[in-house]
Amino acid sequence: MFTIRCPYCGERDQSEFSNGGEAHVARPKDPEQISDREWSEYVFIRANPKGIYYERWVHTHGCKKWFNAVRNTSTDEILKVYKMGEAPPPLKEFKNTIKTPSGEPDVGSGNFSVKKP
Amino acid sequence: MTESKIYFKFDGKKYAGNQGDTIAAALLRNNVRLIGRSFKYHRPRGIYTCGIEEPNALVQIINEHNEPNVRATVKKIYEGMIVKSQNRWPSLKTDLGSINNILSPIFSAGFYYKTFMGPKGFWKNVYEPLIRRTAGLGKPPKEFKSKSIHQHHNIDVIIVGGGLSGLLAARKFAGTNYDVLLVEREDTLGGVLKNADKIKFINDQPADEWLEKTERLIRNSNNIKILKNTLVTTYNFSDHLIALEDKNVGKPQDNEKPEFVLHKIRTNHTILANGHIERFITFRNNDLPGVMLAASFEKYLNRYGVVPDESPVIFTNNSSTFSLLKSLTDLGHKPKAYVDIRDQKNIEKETVDLLEKFNIPFYPKSEIEGCEGQKEVKKVSIRTKKNQISKIKTSMLCVSGGFNPDIHLFTQSKGLLKWDETLLTFKPDRIFQKTITLGSVSGNFSYEKLLVEVEKKLSKFEGLNELEVKFELNGPEKFQIKELWETKHEKKSLWSKSFIDLQNDVTTKDLRQAVNEGFNRIEHLKRFTTNSMGTDQGKISSINALGIVSKILKKDISEVGTTTYRPPYSPVNFSAIAGRSTYEFYDPERKTPLHSWHIRQKAVFENVGQWKRPWYFKKSEDETMHQAVQREAEQVRKTAGILDGSTLGKIEIKGKDALTFVNLMYTNSFTKMKPKTGRYALMLGEDGMVKDDGIVCKINDQHFIVTTTTGNAASVLAHMEEYAQTEWPNLNVYMNSITEQFATFNLSGPKSRVIMSRVFNDIDFSNDKFPFMSFDNFKYLDTEIRILRASFTGELGYEIYVPPSHALKLWQKIFIYSRDFDLVPYGTETMHLLRAEKGYIIVGQDTDGTVTPLDLNLNWMIGKKKKDFIGKRSLTRTDIIRETRKQLVGLVPVDKTLGIEEGQHVIEQKDLSLPIKDPIDMLGHVTSSYFSPNLNHSVAMALIRGGKRKIGSRLFVSTENLNTIAVEVVEPNFIDPKNERMIL
Ligand SMILES: [Zn+2]
Repeated sequence: MFTIRCPYCGERDQSEFSNGGEAHVARPKDPEQISDREWSEYVFIRANPKGIYYERWVHTHGCKKWFNAVRNTSTDEILKVYKMGEAPPPLKEFKNTIKTPSGEPDVGSGNFSVKKP
Repeated sequence: MTESKIYFKFDGKKYAGNQGDTIAAALLRNNVRLIGRSFKYHRPRGIYTCGIEEPNALVQIINEHNEPNVRATVKKIYEGMIVKSQNRWPSLKTDLGSINNILSPIFSAGFYYKTFMGPKGFWKNVYEPLIRRTAGLGKPPKEFKSKSIHQHHNIDVIIVGGGLSGLLAARKFAGTNYDVLLVEREDTLGGVLKNADKIKFINDQPADEWLEKTERLIRNSNNIKILKNTLVTTYNFSDHLIALEDKNVGKPQDNEKPEFVLHKIRTNHTILANGHIERFITFRNNDLPGVMLAASFEKYLNRYGVVPDESPVIFTNNSSTFSLLKSLTDLGHKPKAYVDIRDQKNIEKETVDLLEKFNIPFYPKSEIEGCEGQKEVKKVSIRTKKNQISKIKTSMLCVSGGFNPDIHLFTQSKGLLKWDETLLTFKPDRIFQKTITLGSVSGNFSYEKLLVEVEKKLSKFEGLNELEVKFELNGPEKFQIKELWETKHEKKSLWSKSFIDLQNDVTTKDLRQAVNEGFNRIEHLKRFTTNSMGTDQGKISSINALGIVSKILKKDISEVGTTTYRPPYSPVNFSAIAGRSTYEFYDPERKTPLHSWHIRQKAVFENVGQWKRPWYFKKSEDETMHQAVQREAEQVRKTAGILDGSTLGKIEIKGKDALTFVNLMYTNSFTKMKPKTGRYALMLGEDGMVKDDGIVCKINDQHFIVTTTTGNAASVLAHMEEYAQTEWPNLNVYMNSITEQFATFNLSGPKSRVIMSRVFNDIDFSNDKFPFMSFDNFKYLDTEIRILRASFTGELGYEIYVPPSHALKLWQKIFIYSRDFDLVPYGTETMHLLRAEKGYIIVGQDTDGTVTPLDLNLNWMIGKKKKDFIGKRSLTRTDIIRETRKQLVGLVPVDKTLGIEEGQHVIEQKDLSLPIKDPIDMLGHVTSSYFSPNLNHSVAMALIRGGKRKIGSRLFVSTENLNTIAVEVVEPNFIDPKNERMIL
């Protein structure tokens, strides 16, 4: 359970929102001109990273507006929200939130409640 | 002090307790020690602790919906309460299940996994019946109706725990600008001040007086709310905590008032001051009734005024038992013996002095080897420092194996722990959220250091009060402990066991066996042995298990690590989670404006989403559903019938670019469509699969009204919004749900035109003036209605859209004007039958998210000249144009007397007799099937592989009893294929 700052309504409980999957996957401009493979990649294939993820959310039980968010999927921390149509913030802005080489933050993630000696 | 007695029953016998007693305190007051039988071995069990950590004393409350697994050490008694012991048969004292104790080799580590593995047939015939009868805890309640409520908080600071540390923190916040919630699980604040006699004076006043003054001060401040009898169970992300408040403490259930309040707390800062839990030590038969944790014994003395035993043996590995010794001797009682594993030179002077003063047998550098007794402790064996066994008669043994900071909530918050070499336990190390730990939960067991800690950790808050507190202690200030998890014991008999998890009956032998079998990771070991997987989550024993395992593995405990602590901290009643969302409050019920009429006409209702829709109307009491549906369906095609279609989703679409948008949302082309006409339309997903269908009505190019299926109204609107906002934000278009703004009647049948002309005598319903799929708005009384000529039955038909306020009157008027035609009201079942006769699909019944318009023979609905619409590109993918896809066909039984069952397989072979040697090729399945009264035989629709090319052939449909029915594959259109009845 976390909170999300709707860019239109402000901070609200997660239960008011629905997740809409990866953001910035543009619908092909001219679907007839692309191959089956290209089209099916647009329809079916999404990234599923551990770490920084740009994704779409909709304030379902609120203003019903769609917006984008940057979430760290390993800590569920929402690092930034921005409106549809706004340029995505560069990845390097969030790079320092992942601390270990494996992509596992050393606190707040995984099943290890004891600090590794 | 005169206190009135409270009477309650335990296993049929009446006992008296005091106001405020828990069940356990009251039973101890009456010298009852045998409380239940254990999970697997049915060993006698008693009261081990005095609080939430209790593994053994679980009982069933008969007069509270038979509530099982209630902790006797938490639940308070009230007059007339009826309590029963659990997991015993036929009675607590003579329990036949205790034979499991002798059969224990089959119940050893990994037992469940091994029995699941075989030998074949053993599980079903031997293990399962045995386990079902003998293992387990209480019995589930048969019914309950929740009266619980949920409450939300948005605050600055939560203080979890109203013990000494929590009170000091609250004292600092009292009267400031911070919005603070102080949560205490007991019915009084004070914690250790109430439980033990460790502090003599605070600021030169008796501790009780200071407590009373402080509570009054906090209560009078207007920024701190105190919640008692409230347990924080969960610490989620974003400092979101969940707490369970019991509103019925020490009272019988009240049918008018909430039983629980589930608090959902969002806070800026979380102060954990939730204390510590004493742990036990494993020795032979450490589960016998009469073995109790030392601090719990002390709590019974100080908090409840109950003396569980006047002369127990005390067994310790640390300095904390001094205060128990002092409390007992202050009351004039003399312990049988004091056994401490530490060297005499390391044992605190205060303790030694007290033992000498009262001449109490003292065993330094000694340990308890085990204890004897059938149903409770009779004797304990002490291994003295010279390694000799010395036996002492006693009926109670108090054990202290040290203390664990209660890190459960801290680790739920994803904070990290570290091992403390002097305290021999895990304590919080690094926080992940905005968490502050205070007092013993942070591993600080010193009262003097507590003041420093509070000042330091709260220094980041501005404007807090200065604390002026001075303690005068009763005993040694410094906490000292020596490592001991399990004592060396001698095997006495098959009955002898040394437990590491009392609730799940896991022994230290099980741990060793599991490690021998290769389970050397703590998470695996936990699951394999079920250690600490009970409802108590091993609160008094899980760290001990780590200690023992680390010794077996020859690793440091910090390397072994802990298992994951998961919410809830302690079991939460389902009724609290459900809150008000039970029965009729679980989901809103939606009724059409004609609902009362339907009830009067004996409608049987069907749930469609949240809607109540008439399923069929019973003409007489003894009419069956089949008879009613046949009658309704026949009458519609004979004269006319009317359906309440108000539940259909209706969406209004407006804007300069409405036409472009509707063209993108649906497969059909709407560009050349004339104003005031409608079109049956299909909506696809981007994958080309049918998502919904409905009628698109064009008022003009900037204004459309579309209908959706009843169940998809919300998701279709959401789908439109998503595309309007995210893909085509440049389009000027707005959508609004208008489902509830109109009641909808579907009038259908050869007489419908006559009926319409009678009801609306100023409207021309002739085919020229009012052709199929046209609509218009008309003035009706003081309002406006819309009439659309459309049909879902294949008959001449009209849809009337009327504001709900006029719906019932108009509906009744239609019946008055059609008496001579026997106009029949029909329900959803007849609607399904009539449309199946015509081969019309129902999205969600004949489709399942894997079906394209091509599969449904609906190619004619695709606007092929349109450049784009959602899903268009997918319709030319190689897999979608594959001829062997499952396609919709009609089926008619060869033997016209037979019925086809929905969901059955369509196959090529006739013979299904057993044994079936080769796999049967499943061509597909029957999606809809009805007995048609108008054709006098069954009609069915099916999705079958390469269906279009199979039309005209003969196939078979399986039946429930492994027979088959021969069927002809036909076009799915059984009545009036040329639609002459509909468009005349
Ligand atoms: Zn919003």
